[in-house]
Amino acid sequence: MSGPDQKLDGVRLAVLTNRLESIVRKMTNTLFRTARSGVINTARDFSCCIVTGGDELLAAAESIPILIAGGPELVTSYMKEVHPVLRRGDAFLHNSPYHGSSHAADHGVLVPVIDDDGVHRFTLVVKAHVADCGNSIPSSMMPGARDVYEEGALIFPCVRIQQEYAEVGDVMRMCEARIRAPELWRGDLMAMVGAARVGERELLELAEEVGWAELDAYVEEWFAYSEERMVEAIRKLPAGRASAETTHDPFAGVTEGLPIRATVEVDPERAVITVDLRDNPDCLPNGMNLTESTARACALTGVLNGIPDVVPVNAAVFRRVEVLLRENCMLGIPLHPTSCSLATTHPAIRAINVVQRALAELGDGIGMAESGSAIAAGGAAISGFDARRQGERFVGLLFLANSAGAASPFADGWIGASSISAGMMYTDSVEVDEALYPFRVWVNRFIPDSEGAGRFRGSSARHVEWSPVGVPLTAVWMSDGNEYPALGARGGLAGALASQRVRRRSGEIEELPAAGAVVIEPEERLISFSTSGGGYGPPDERDPDRVALDVSDGYVTAEQALAVYRVALDGDGLVDRVRTAELRAGARS
Amino acid sequence: MGLRFAVDTGGTFTDLVVEDGDRPLELHKSPTTLPDPTQGVVDVFGVAAAARGVAVEELLADGELLIHASTRAINAVLTETTARTALLTTEGHEDVLLLREGGREGAFDFSREYPRPFVPRSLTFGVGERVGAGGEVVLALDEAALAGLARRLAELRVEAVAVCLLWSTANPIHELRVGELLAEQLPDVPVTLSHQLNPSIREFRRASSAALDAALKPVMTAYLDTLDGRLRSLGFAGRVLMTTSSGGLLPLDAVAAAPVHTLNSGPAMAPVAGRFYADRDTGADTVVVADTGGTTCDISLVRGGEIPRTREAWLGRRFTGIMTGLPSVEVRSVGAGGGSVAWVDAGGLLHVGPDSAGSDPGPACYGRGGGHATVTDAALVLGYIDPDYFLGSAIALDAAAARAVVRERVGDPLGLEPEEAAAAVLELATENVVSAIEDVTVKQGVDPREAVLVGGGGAAGLNLVAVARRLGCREVLFPETGAALSAAGALLSDLSTDFVSTHHTSSRDFDYDGVNSTLSALEASCDAFIAEVSGEAGSRIEWFAETRYPRQIWELEVPLPSPRFRDGADVEALRQRFHATHERVFAISDPDAPIEVVAWRARAVSRLGSGRGPGSQAGGANGGAPVRRPAYFSGVGVEAAEVFRLDSMRPGEAATGPAIVESPLTTIVVTPGATVECLAAGGLRVVPSDR
Repeated sequence: MSGPDQKLDGVRLAVLTNRLESIVRKMTNTLFRTARSGVINTARDFSCCIVTGGDELLAAAESIPILIAGGPELVTSYMKEVHPVLRRGDAFLHNSPYHGSSHAADHGVLVPVIDDDGVHRFTLVVKAHVADCGNSIPSSMMPGARDVYEEGALIFPCVRIQQEYAEVGDVMRMCEARIRAPELWRGDLMAMVGAARVGERELLELAEEVGWAELDAYVEEWFAYSEERMVEAIRKLPAGRASAETTHDPFAGVTEGLPIRATVEVDPERAVITVDLRDNPDCLPNGMNLTESTARACALTGVLNGIPDVVPVNAAVFRRVEVLLRENCMLGIPLHPTSCSLATTHPAIRAINVVQRALAELGDGIGMAESGSAIAAGGAAISGFDARRQGERFVGLLFLANSAGAASPFADGWIGASSISAGMMYTDSVEVDEALYPFRVWVNRFIPDSEGAGRFRGSSARHVEWSPVGVPLTAVWMSDGNEYPALGARGGLAGALASQRVRRRSGEIEELPAAGAVVIEPEERLISFSTSGGGYGPPDERDPDRVALDVSDGYVTAEQALAVYRVALDGDGLVDRVRTAELRAGARS
Repeated sequence: MGLRFAVDTGGTFTDLVVEDGDRPLELHKSPTTLPDPTQGVVDVFGVAAAARGVAVEELLADGELLIHASTRAINAVLTETTARTALLTTEGHEDVLLLREGGREGAFDFSREYPRPFVPRSLTFGVGERVGAGGEVVLALDEAALAGLARRLAELRVEAVAVCLLWSTANPIHELRVGELLAEQLPDVPVTLSHQLNPSIREFRRASSAALDAALKPVMTAYLDTLDGRLRSLGFAGRVLMTTSSGGLLPLDAVAAAPVHTLNSGPAMAPVAGRFYADRDTGADTVVVADTGGTTCDISLVRGGEIPRTREAWLGRRFTGIMTGLPSVEVRSVGAGGGSVAWVDAGGLLHVGPDSAGSDPGPACYGRGGGHATVTDAALVLGYIDPDYFLGSAIALDAAAARAVVRERVGDPLGLEPEEAAAAVLELATENVVSAIEDVTVKQGVDPREAVLVGGGGAAGLNLVAVARRLGCREVLFPETGAALSAAGALLSDLSTDFVSTHHTSSRDFDYDGVNSTLSALEASCDAFIAEVSGEAGSRIEWFAETRYPRQIWELEVPLPSPRFRDGADVEALRQRFHATHERVFAISDPDAPIEVVAWRARAVSRLGSGRGPGSQAGGANGGAPVRRPAYFSGVGVEAAEVFRLDSMRPGEAATGPAIVESPLTTIVVTPGATVECLAAGGLRVVPSDR
């Protein structure tokens, strides 16, 4: 007796939406709290979502964009293709870049939700970046891998790891024989399975309470509502077509900067946005290729970032975005054995950037600037043998060096929000890192005058220094933005360039390339400067009081305030309004 | 035996509960006064004295104990009126408060600003020093530079200093020395050392708690001095204690030394009261407490007789607010209070909260110009609230205004009649509460169907029976002191404080000597606390281990099987407890794995009273036949609900819904089919119908 049904859509929608979001939050919490590797239990590099039986993303609370926009549907439809009969108690491991997944280091667990009559109703998709995936070098990301064979990662095209809730050991044993720190990996995988099982339990309970028919009706209504919100959002935009180009640093065997392009067309009448990523280089003989799912995710993320309205995130919203991809394109659909080792990071960030910046071309208040690279050398993959733990091998990915947030038309860049993670990921605690790994962080702070200036500014660049303690360690890093910065939008300035070096025991400073591997001895120091985010709008349109606050907070020096923002401050650090007005008038005439 | 008082200064009202031997508890309310809330405390004693027909001085002179809960500290933080505070960190790590731990809400919403750190970068300074992860001094403290820094702090007119150096928990030598040097050079400036306040790993949390604490010291010292002074000058000669965020009590000098512990002091008392009443009236030891005022519904939990605590309490919103980093009773607030605003978005989706109409202008039905449809307006439209008896007729409500605003803001956009629209508002508010309860309970591994629901605050009764029905709870309890639940909880609380020591060990290679000497040191600290506070009704120590699987980094708190570890059996007992806890909370466990203990926690508890609880409240007895009033219920339509006055119900008297029980302070809606019974002590028990 829930009242006159057909008229209470708003209420029923809200109620069931809360229920489903709450289920995803429980899954998220389970994975975060129980995982063993820092990538998951500290940095939160994972996603949990509910996909309908018809392969449409339904709910994905607090997940990071690159893993949820456009990808989960591909993996669940592949699951149905290769496993036509699904049973309650099944769980699958899936990480194949060629069958809807992202890079090989993102291990996904898929659990189909089967009703009492054996009907497949939903699929729970839990995907996490594991610390090691059996690559040929101790790093889960390999920019230089010529192909998937050189990359070395084990590829699992949706293989069964549980049947009737019991482990199918075959694949697990393969992994344990091949993945570095296998106990760590097993613990992480168990945490993923646990998260999916929590979601399964909850969905079955929900169905028992309201019935599958009600859930079906909900899905239809929620999608209709969501799509309508997206239609409204697109109708507010001006009609037009714009292209943008940015450049990825040359590394991994590429000798020149890599142009990345997108063309975006907004058709308010049809309420459709088209993103064309086809005018990009063919797949490269290295790890810099997107997968189909991450290419779609980049287009969709750039659009959702770039439209001013906030809409629900699900498949119905994605229906309003046409993504044009081509086969064998580095920002498209790769063919086996192309390596996609960096498919969620470097080229992905640039691809999202260029979509949101193309949107910015269509008008003020739309689009965003570019975010910087998610990963600087300070956030390397580190490995070695820990003397404090009887020489036990350790591998880990540090999340220390991120900054990179792009300015929007409404706010400054969010610290830690590169365009792939949106700031949903966490940053490491120095103390937790030092407890986990034999190393010591000496510096971890922001650099003045490093922001991409603008009416709204990008977040500042981060300066990180660390040393191994007691034992040498190997660092593998890849930092885009050494040569080509994150660009600003609509008159906003570009962000800072990244750089990295090692101070050897002799005191000698050794400059390091944008990407590489290096052994660092105790007493030596890795010194890393990250990129920063681009600005939005001309800097001399920035609210002078915000500039004064930036100076007081130490993000910006008084010199930069004067030269770039054209804001004069008095002796107390307050805005000299007369002089500022003069400066700004002079700059415009 | 003298009187015992509990005073709870809330955002809107200051509540006083007076316990006079075996007599029924007295409840009084008076408006909270700002900017000096101690006036409101004096005022509410005036109200109580008048009710007893005595002078305030006479009433206070009879008092032996006063327990105080206050929003003073949290208000100071939220209104940014705390001291001008500097933060000293290890050099190179000055951005610890800016970096936080990451995280954000709304992946695709870039219209929100990144939060400024609680201590701005301009007042954060690096100190040359370094201690390593093993407690070893890697870089000596640069004392000369520190002397210069102290002068600089004086020039900057800094009023408080927080010190958080890396690994001060492993070796506090540098933090202690910084504290000494600051005490010499800035003798009038209060200092908080992070390892003393919050000895736990994760520098951001420690820095955040230390910064909050230092910033509160000047404010709270002044407040406590004023309060104590006023009470003494009015003749109060008893003992004054304050409630803490973790649900315990502390003497005023301990509060002054670490005022951050009072940030959540009021809401933390609700589960203490809930535990007592649920046990007394139903025997249940698993309880969900919903304390609903004007702005929020605060949800808290009692699990197996214990009140769970969280280490991740946020002031304000998660991620953008301020993390206290200290153990706090887990309280989840949702925008489902009486003043929470209902609205329909452009796509036709109904929302309730998080905005509140507050008390001025308040809901539209207050007739003070409020233009928003609130939960109270909806309840009025549905006939749940008597417009002429709200707050005992203190405010005459405008039913027509409520109807008009519900029609305009909710009904028309959704194409619903006002009653249907109002029912939808209540249903969604109910759903918000349900979802918060599910979040809190599931996180603690509790099945809400096993729990008794306890309602407190003025607005809980509007939908708590509906909440119970939705969750499948077996019963709902509205204690006789429900309108002042937190204050009542304060009278039932114990003096308590936590001591923590980080000492890492593993079940695979258990360090018996190290652990046992750590536990001995904790026990000595507990004994000293217990001797100092001298509760008259006995004392105890509760023991916990912060435990995890290898390579996990988030710990679960597990009660120790014994206060010392003699042999492998003791270690195995702890390991099994951890597996069970992990399974309960996260649906999985790893029974073959060893466990690691990161920290050891001892809670010293000293009991104040007999724990016998307040005397009976009931006995009303002037009977009076119930009247009937039309009220609208979802799925049923308008029915004639029986209306009872709470103070005229007799113990044992029962009724079947639809019914409404009202008092000057609250309205309890008994949905059709549910049964309500007046209990011996004067509270109500409601058993929801299945559907």
